[in-house]
Amino acid sequence: MSERYDIAIIGTGPAGLEATINAKIRNKNIILFGNKDLSAKLIKAPKINNFLGFHDITGKELKDRFSHHIDAMGIGIVNEKINNIYAMGDYFALMVNEKMYEAKTIILATGIEYAKALKGEEEFLGKGVGYCATCDAPLYKGKTVTIVGYNKESEEETNYVSELSGKTYFIPMYKGEYKLNPNVEIIKSKPLEIVGNDRVTKLILEKAEIITDGIFMLRDSVSPGQLVPGLEIEEGHIKVDRNMKTNIEGCFAAGDCTGKPYQFIKSAGEGLVAAASAVSYLDNM
Amino acid sequence: MIKEVNDKSFDTEIAGSDSIVVVDFWAPWCGPCKMLTPVMEELSKEMGDKVKFVKVNVDDNPLISSKYRIASIPTVVVFSKDTVKETMVGFRPKADLKKIIERHL
Repeated sequence: MSERYDIAIIGTGPAGLEATINAKIRNKNIILFGNKDLSAKLIKAPKINNFLGFHDITGKELKDRFSHHIDAMGIGIVNEKINNIYAMGDYFALMVNEKMYEAKTIILATGIEYAKALKGEEEFLGKGVGYCATCDAPLYKGKTVTIVGYNKESEEETNYVSELSGKTYFIPMYKGEYKLNPNVEIIKSKPLEIVGNDRVTKLILEKAEIITDGIFMLRDSVSPGQLVPGLEIEEGHIKVDRNMKTNIEGCFAAGDCTGKPYQFIKSAGEGLVAAASAVSYLDNM
Repeated sequence: MIKEVNDKSFDTEIAGSDSIVVVDFWAPWCGPCKMLTPVMEELSKEMGDKVKFVKVNVDDNPLISSKYRIASIPTVVVFSKDTVKETMVGFRPKADLKKIIERHL
């Protein structure tokens, strides 16, 4: 069995890092998921004047300070993309493709950069719309399936689906060479809306319409509600209380993913509170 | 272990039951289904005297899966006699499932 961490922190922006250093100070067994660049938004900021103590600093400079800080505390970053987090009751299962990590608590600090749902997508979820083509493909044996692919990996899933379905359409949302089975029809047009009655009937595109039984949306980044099934979302943000608690026991959130204003020091502050809450939850476990 | 029902035994097991029946539609290749299995097992232990828990492998039982229009798995359906009371698509935490099932008791 894999090691069960006390706290898994997802995200290396200011919220995730502040949560991590505080959890580390409190001597918890932690794991931090993210990447070495920490945060794309941070690197891009030309000048920051509202982070107390760092007047007239560039985003890049602030990022270097953050990196130095976690290095000095012996905190490493695990560069893996979490696909799903399942609340199993007394622990969380964090899925990375075929691999799984376990943690007693989680802190979501994923920021706010994820693609918006298509019109009709949420309404028809489970009624023809799905996010896991390999899971649901056998249910579409002999039927028409449309895949909206945002990355290279979606091509592989499309090929798998095309072996079972009657007809497969692929709508690429990126440019490149597509390695697809010959029976897959590629349609280059932007999807606008999913329509149907009690289940999906068609996908409306900018330049076309596809009559289809099923639609799979295969994106790079998923919304927090998809990442953590059962998580309560309010107006596009994770719903939290003053202690950064979500509706799921042991799951906390901090930073832009919880709501506006989108500011570095607000995120850091929330990360601190989330870590404190996670620590107190662990101590009462 | 939660009882497996199939195309043949489904009607007797579900409509023939006096209690409400929670059906977990799953398949062996589906990751989220695997995660849901222990959650359903725990619920079955906790609520087993009031609720009947069964599961259907959609791969082996296409008739029932298409009859109830299962388009994604996992899907958990709450039945009372042969009426669908609630359909939950995708993995859900235990507390959520319990709350929803309790609404139908």
